[in-house]
Amino acid sequence: MNQLALLQNALVVGAILFSLGLVGILTRRNLIVMFLSAELMLQGISVSLVAWSRYHGDFGGQVLVIFVLTVAACEAAVALVFVLQAFARTGRLDSAAWQSLRESNLPRRVDHELPAIDTVPPSFPRLTPAGVLPAADENDLLQREHV
Amino acid sequence: MIAVALPSPGVLLAGAVTAAAVSLWLLLPRGRDSRPARWLGGLLGAAALAGFVLTGRRLGGLGEEAVFLIVSLVAVISGAATIVSRSPVYSAIWFALALAGVSGVLLVLGAQFLGVATIVVYAGAILVMFLFVLMLAQPAGLAPYDRVSNEPLLSAIAGATLLGLLTLSIGRLSADPSCCQMPSKAAAMAAGTAGTSVDAAHAGDAIDAAIATDPLAADQVARLGGELFGRHLLAVEAAGVLLLVALVGSIAVVSRHGDPSGELAPARRAAS
Repeated sequence: MNQLALLQNALVVGAILFSLGLVGILTRRNLIVMFLSAELMLQGISVSLVAWSRYHGDFGGQVLVIFVLTVAACEAAVALVFVLQAFARTGRLDSAAWQSLRESNLPRRVDHELPAIDTVPPSFPRLTPAGVLPAADENDLLQREHV
Repeated sequence: MIAVALPSPGVLLAGAVTAAAVSLWLLLPRGRDSRPARWLGGLLGAAALAGFVLTGRRLGGLGEEAVFLIVSLVAVISGAATIVSRSPVYSAIWFALALAGVSGVLLVLGAQFLGVATIVVYAGAILVMFLFVLMLAQPAGLAPYDRVSNEPLLSAIAGATLLGLLTLSIGRLSADPSCCQMPSKAAAMAAGTAGTSVDAAHAGDAIDAAIATDPLAADQVARLGGELFGRHLLAVEAAGVLLLVALVGSIAVVSRHGDPSGELAPARRAAS
């Protein structure tokens, strides 16, 4: 088995995941999607660390990934609390809702081509009813204790 | 090697990076976007992925190669879908699939405990917490701020450039054989070849050490635990304190305003 090839391929996978997370955290405006992108970057780092650990034949990288998992759990807990507080204040998960905190010499961001609210109802799959609907017994319905 | 005449690696990498940037720009939410543009973006993304696969190296074993290719494609495609999905709920679900792919990559790399822990901790606890918060905080329908992005073109170019530079430096790894020796095995081999002059017992110790740190051994998880609670015991204690501080801090922040969302705490404890 070619260890160097495995290392390089795994590192490329980690780099792709990291770059995707970077693009996500730079572009998306939903706070939760931004945190998901940060977690994606952490996943890329984990893949790279485990690849190096495999290549060097020791457990240092894997131990570091365990601590990354721990810190990611703490980060998600604290960050989600702040997201909830931000949502309670503004009613939106929009990061641009907090642009009054920007530097005073920066221009205000205005959405020029903001799309209209999506009025098209989402299309959900319709399941064809199977079998025959049994006739409802009104007395039975009234006697039911739980819904 | 592949029999088809390929362009030179530099041209291939440049093409893959360009295709990745354009496809990300086409796929990201841009306000008014059409379905053909997104299809074109998807096709370009597939072409970029094929380019990056071709820049990779052959592993050798066909079975391992196929498994690695499948799980890494699952991880990368789901990761891309995570950041381009309009609906944040779909983003979270795609992220779960990306976690499954990453866990598969970790298993191929021989990290059994981490592969399972990624599924349990991330997909089982952290992602469920994200979904809870989404359900608490998501307005009805698709919000306008989910359908636009901050500077999609510049960000796509920046991300693709970073990816190209990283791939370039990763490809250079093999060119310099002195940079990445396996220390334990190299030491074992050096000790083994120099066994006539050095103590024979020393050589045996070095080879034993090399075997003891082999990440593919049968009792790999037990060895990982020994390493974690032996060499890194202080760091484990610090991580425990960190978890406690995060737990107490988040509960304190939530309950200061009488927010009814304090029931997130058990999930957080399970996540740790």
